[in-house]
Amino acid sequence: MPLISVVLGRLSQAFLLLIAMSLIGFIGVHSVGNPVFNVVNIETATPEDIRQATIALGLDQPIWRQYLLFINNVVRGNFGTSYIYHLPAFALVMSKLPATLELACVAMLIAAPVGTGLGLLAGRRSGTIFDRTVLRSSVFALSIPSFWLSMMLILLGAILTGWFPSGGRGTTARFLGQEWSFLTGNGLWHMVLPALALAIPNVALIARLSRSGTIEVENLDFTRFCRAKGLSSRRILLRHTLPNISVPIVTIIGLQFGGMLAFAVVVESIFAWPGVGKLLIDSIQLLDRPVVMATLTFISVAFVALNALVDLFYAVLDPRVRLS
Amino acid sequence: MIEEPLKTPLLRVKNLGLRHLSASGPVTILADVSFDLGRGEILGIIGESGAGKSTLGNVVLGLLAPEFQRTSGTIEFDGMSTEAMTASAREAIRGRRISAIFQDHTASLDPLMSVGMQVEETVLAIDGSLSRRQARHRALDLLTRVGIPDPQRRYRQYPHQFSGGQRQRVVIAIALAGSPDVVIADEPTSALDATVQKQILGLLRTLVDETGVSIILVTHDMGVVSEITDRVLVMRKGQVVEQERTAAILDNPCHDYTRKLLAAVPRLRIPATAANPDDRQSRTGATEEGDRETMLLIAKGVSKHFSQRVFPWSRAGSKAKFALRDVTIHLRRGTITGIVGESGSGKTTLGRIIAGLDSAPSGRITIGGRQFDVAKSGRRSGLLGRVQMIFQDPAVSLNPRMTIGETLRETIRFAAATGRNDAPADLASMMDRLGLPRSLLTRHPHQLSGGQKQRVCIARTLLARPQIIVADEPTSALDVSVQAEIVDLLKDTVAERDLTMIFISHDLAVVQQLCSSLYIFKDGRVEDFGPSDFIFSQSRNPYTRSLIDARPRRFTC
Repeated sequence: MPLISVVLGRLSQAFLLLIAMSLIGFIGVHSVGNPVFNVVNIETATPEDIRQATIALGLDQPIWRQYLLFINNVVRGNFGTSYIYHLPAFALVMSKLPATLELACVAMLIAAPVGTGLGLLAGRRSGTIFDRTVLRSSVFALSIPSFWLSMMLILLGAILTGWFPSGGRGTTARFLGQEWSFLTGNGLWHMVLPALALAIPNVALIARLSRSGTIEVENLDFTRFCRAKGLSSRRILLRHTLPNISVPIVTIIGLQFGGMLAFAVVVESIFAWPGVGKLLIDSIQLLDRPVVMATLTFISVAFVALNALVDLFYAVLDPRVRLS
Repeated sequence: MIEEPLKTPLLRVKNLGLRHLSASGPVTILADVSFDLGRGEILGIIGESGAGKSTLGNVVLGLLAPEFQRTSGTIEFDGMSTEAMTASAREAIRGRRISAIFQDHTASLDPLMSVGMQVEETVLAIDGSLSRRQARHRALDLLTRVGIPDPQRRYRQYPHQFSGGQRQRVVIAIALAGSPDVVIADEPTSALDATVQKQILGLLRTLVDETGVSIILVTHDMGVVSEITDRVLVMRKGQVVEQERTAAILDNPCHDYTRKLLAAVPRLRIPATAANPDDRQSRTGATEEGDRETMLLIAKGVSKHFSQRVFPWSRAGSKAKFALRDVTIHLRRGTITGIVGESGSGKTTLGRIIAGLDSAPSGRITIGGRQFDVAKSGRRSGLLGRVQMIFQDPAVSLNPRMTIGETLRETIRFAAATGRNDAPADLASMMDRLGLPRSLLTRHPHQLSGGQKQRVCIARTLLARPQIIVADEPTSALDVSVQAEIVDLLKDTVAERDLTMIFISHDLAVVQQLCSSLYIFKDGRVEDFGPSDFIFSQSRNPYTRSLIDARPRRFTC
């Protein structure tokens, strides 16, 4: 019974979020400019052509009417057709998803264990040279801009040494009706540099978080009690400290993962990685409203789902959440 | 218990000196501390905060932070000097031969690991040759021995599913896992309610008698010392003041400081009066139409429950947990009324509702004939300002960024703005009256002692010129010797200024010194009430009796 109400609560929140997001997105794109001028050829089009295109796209209607029409279509599962690519908008987003998803997953698979491990060790030995090194390099890793980091990675990993390719997805293999890079050796090879570019700031973030968590937990009575009862430091670190710092870490992993799905624009652009982020930016520039709306909807749903997943993890991690 | 002097002490601490290397130079924490601990003995170490008693426990455990430095002395454990031991040898002693129980039973257990597992891992850490099954078996044994009912079922449960007393029992089970020779118990019952405290102390005594373990009991509470220790070490500012058999210390303290500590312990007096038992109604004046004039505050039918709502618009869940159920209290003008109860009994919640800091969905509060809306809190309730609170912990109820003068002047300005203060210049006289040097006005809270801070809080409360003061355990965060001063101060202030006060406490003896009438709370209800003398001498309520019985016998007369 409580589970049902929690799920219902989540769904109603998600619903409100989607309404709000769609309104903001819709009005936002509308106020940027008229998409018609990106659809017709500005140099050759007559005013009559423009008028007809406007009617064809439904842009002659008042904005509230356009919005209602859009919602009506969305309810039936139709996000419309891209003004630019002339493809169904949602299918377009979905076709870019595998690239983004696999890149984000690989980046997080690097960032989460490395960051947590560094943070645990640094927190355990706070004040030592190791700790100070981790702290300082994390400040550095968090403050360098993503584009510069990406270019340095290309410079070091591709141009100077030639170890890794500098861009593109490489060979892909078909799985579940989509193309994936991680299934081929060459594809994985292509993934190394962009995944690192996404992972490095996250390593720093997670390391800082788990470091401060470790220091806090190690000062609590129960870790002192664990030492008093004769447990080894290793066991205390892995069986007591780690679970106790994991709630904030899981939260940040969830948020950052969502961010990587939606806003890895810079990295995706520099590494010529055809993902969702790049699609979103391109579509905003071209005022391709159906694609923008489809992407935003997808991102919102992804964030809500990730948050629900994070909450589920809380329950797995913490019996106090699970049993109340 | 121990009849003859001990031949071979299990633990011998000799001339121990210790200092703390802080940023502002080394500070002496312990100076020339010597004591012996025999087998099967309970040694109490008593002292006020800053006496170095907890540090002493940690030295013996070998759990000192690196910024502590030993300057002199030796510690011999079972004939071996601990300095001569390697780090790993000391590690081997910890948990196996010397273990510990800490004050905060909630913080001592990992909230994310099942209780049984925490006992089991200790058993395994101590004896690696055991199989998981054997370890589990032993863990169940331990839980049974410390009195956890149905340990099979509770094995998989988590700390938050246990009550405070049961958690402390689990901690004791863990401490006993290695059949240690010495257990260092640092304030093991301070976080527990009186009735539970009595049980836990009883358990410790039984364990000592059955297993021959020795216990070093670090505490600030003479009551605890009087209940179970064999010998006592009185400490003050890092030095041993006196060291004697418990009975001798209690009957015939040699040192002034010990005498002062003993005198400061509030004593419960059971009056031998034989007042008419049916007197209660008339004496509290609990009838409404009775002397309404003398009743300054009437809170009637106050109920509050906590519930979780799923949606902001959904109705409160059916499984609401009551904080208060239909509570009715009367406050006679110019008196102090005590509200006594154990943790979770709703006494603080009621205090906050009366002060207008919390709301209650149902109930009526009338002050001096004027009715207030308890469904609202804060400004809208109209109660703010009329009723002032004194909080439990003065350390966190003063703004650390403001000087004492700023804090107090702010109150005066506020009171003047609401037109309830006709003499705004009485700050200095207030300071004098409460025994606060005027030089404190320019200081910040951290520069004051605990007692001074609580005096400042009282000054702040009085300057706001309330009709009623709600004092929520105002002495329980203070040292015993300071407690008595604050209690006297409150008593005098109420008498001098013709104030009316609600005094919330868990300590019957303190309440008895102050209050003319009492309400005893249990699980959000008024369990018993009446004039203070009546409650202590004649109440037949079993809960009231159990509270009185839980008091250390030594300090009840």
